[in-house]
Amino acid sequence: MKKKLNKAVSLVVAATVSVSVLAGCSKGDKKDSDKNGVTTIEFWAAPNPPQQAYWKEMAKEFEKENPKVNINVSAIKESPSSEASIQSAIAGKSAPTMSENINRGFAAQLAESKALVPLNEIEGWEDILTNRNMTETVEPWEFSDGNQYVLPIYSNPMLFGWRLDILKELGINEAPKTYSEMLEATKRLKAKYPDKFLWAKPDLADPTAWKRWFDFFMLYDAASEGNNFIEGNKLVADDKAGLQVLTFMDDLRKENAYLLKTVTDPFETGVGIFTDIGPWTLTYWEEKFPKMVYGETFTLAPPPVPDNMNTENVRTFADTKGLVIYASATDQQKHAAMKFISWVYANPEHDLKWLEQTNLPPARDDLAENEAFTTFFSENPALQPYANAVPFGIPSIDNPKYNELQTFIGQHAVNPIVKGKNTPKNGWNDMKKAIEGGL
Amino acid sequence: MRKQNGVGWLFASPYLLYAILFFAIPLVWSFYLSTTDWNLISPEYNFKGITNYIDVFRSPGVQAALLVTFKFMAVFVPLVIVMSMIVAAIVHGLPKFKGIFLIGFFLPYLASGVVSSFIVKGLLSYNSPLNTTLRGKFGMDIDWLGSPFAALCVVAVIIAWKFTGYYALILTSGFESINAEIYEAAAIDGANAWQRFFKITLPLLYPAIYTVIILSIGVTFGIFTEVYQLTGGGPDYATNTWQMEIFTQAFKNLQAGYASAIAIVASVVTFLSIFVIRKLLEMWGKRNGWV
Repeated sequence: MKKKLNKAVSLVVAATVSVSVLAGCSKGDKKDSDKNGVTTIEFWAAPNPPQQAYWKEMAKEFEKENPKVNINVSAIKESPSSEASIQSAIAGKSAPTMSENINRGFAAQLAESKALVPLNEIEGWEDILTNRNMTETVEPWEFSDGNQYVLPIYSNPMLFGWRLDILKELGINEAPKTYSEMLEATKRLKAKYPDKFLWAKPDLADPTAWKRWFDFFMLYDAASEGNNFIEGNKLVADDKAGLQVLTFMDDLRKENAYLLKTVTDPFETGVGIFTDIGPWTLTYWEEKFPKMVYGETFTLAPPPVPDNMNTENVRTFADTKGLVIYASATDQQKHAAMKFISWVYANPEHDLKWLEQTNLPPARDDLAENEAFTTFFSENPALQPYANAVPFGIPSIDNPKYNELQTFIGQHAVNPIVKGKNTPKNGWNDMKKAIEGGL
Repeated sequence: MRKQNGVGWLFASPYLLYAILFFAIPLVWSFYLSTTDWNLISPEYNFKGITNYIDVFRSPGVQAALLVTFKFMAVFVPLVIVMSMIVAAIVHGLPKFKGIFLIGFFLPYLASGVVSSFIVKGLLSYNSPLNTTLRGKFGMDIDWLGSPFAALCVVAVIIAWKFTGYYALILTSGFESINAEIYEAAAIDGANAWQRFFKITLPLLYPAIYTVIILSIGVTFGIFTEVYQLTGGGPDYATNTWQMEIFTQAFKNLQAGYASAIAIVASVVTFLSIFVIRKLLEMWGKRNGWV
């Protein structure tokens, strides 16, 4: 009897110790607020230092005025990707209250799975739109169910950079605007510098979905004048524009315009003379490549268009990301989060601070006119083309299967065409067939 | 005896609990998920029966993963065995500081796969000194990560570099366990270096070699970081490993149920492959009278 008791006690002790250790890892039940009535919210910022610093500063200032709210700002883990970290956190029931850095496609995935709160259902949403002057900017972000799940923070129309110094050596004084002008530039480049390439970019041969935002979609949005690619569950792509883009890519290949091998800083070192550039690149250059001077070494231009098209007001892909609130947050946390967002965006100075720290254009209707920003852009001329292009930026598709669908664009169209393994017509048709099957 | 059993259970219980929590339950859960259409984040999902498994066998990504694993095995296993054998032989022959040298070779094993991949990416870049020299002096323009065979070999070499020190540690302990007197006796009998290697070293080192081969084969089923960082599974699925395919389906395409089915199939393939190779190695050992 005693032996049995010993055995039972031993097992219970061992199990208790082990479970206690494991229980220590658990976060336990969520509470609306602590005994002092302080609501704590977890805010995951984009995994880049300027954005993280901005949100930490905002949180600190907000807490001074709102002692009943405590905001913990931390960076989204990037290993293996920020999206995977968020998905794991949701699956593991340890999602934050809110996070930034969410694009439309990923938001669509999260919204479909009911992981996000419709922001328009929380009190204070309309006030944010009015106070921040973003009623128009937010319109294209409406999802097919009529809800708004993301508050766009910045709207960044992507532009193409050209090595102006090398173009001038070729006798070209400004960035080519049409397909013919680009092909002519390529011919001159290869004649003078056979070892240089127009577009040194291994991503062109890589099917990874997001890479299409910075080649195919920039060109397609320009050629189609912003025609949608997918609407709801229907492929509505402009065939003529799509074929023009792929034919142009094929023509560039025939001129040996591409370098598809891994290459370090191709644009900065002059191996390639054309590349997609976002404002974040300019911040990077200030530190690492101070010789890259706007108007001297490089210039910025909208995507090239087919020859017969107007070269003014060209549409381009807009890299836009925003804030979301997760459905797993408590009601009190949701309201505290909304209060924080309202506070941040009620003051244009906060957007100016964001612009100064990150160089990313705030998603506001008045960006081009508001004096606070125009002064900034006149002092930072390289960012002016981005501000000018804001009205022509087209956000990414909002289909929950965007990853799979955009992979098809690479696999069937862009990748084989830049490698010369398929014709533009067949590539376009293969891609359409695959996407329609996926939808 | 019974008291001893109780104490045994007491000491084993944390591990048992750990195994139940982190191996048994996830395995059962994963199998259950593999029969559903769960997307990883949605609270709602449906039972799909064996549909995911049918899709797994039809998938070009999975078919590629299966082939790629064996291709990696063909390049990586001989490479890492030879490299670790050379390191172990050199370290074994050192008069002093064997431990320090072994630690030096072991360090890559501790290095982050992300960091080493970034370094390799820089080294193999089109405009790196290596490629500039190869192009300029030898007229060789190699697309290291863009051609299927080269990309596979690059990843295999990085992983071999990483594991060489670890396996050399095992082989060195094997070398150290061989009594020096046997070599002396063989030398007196007139055995040359090759005969000493094939008749003494190899048979007595067989248990260590067996361990290293099995471990290195296990590695080929778990390759992810280097592939994710360097090639993303490309070009044209040429480096698409099981882990890469599971990651793509679970975290990029949000098909956790389907990814679970791939994971289960991958486990079965891993288990069967290692089982077959183990049996072949044992037959090889028995045929030569080493075991």
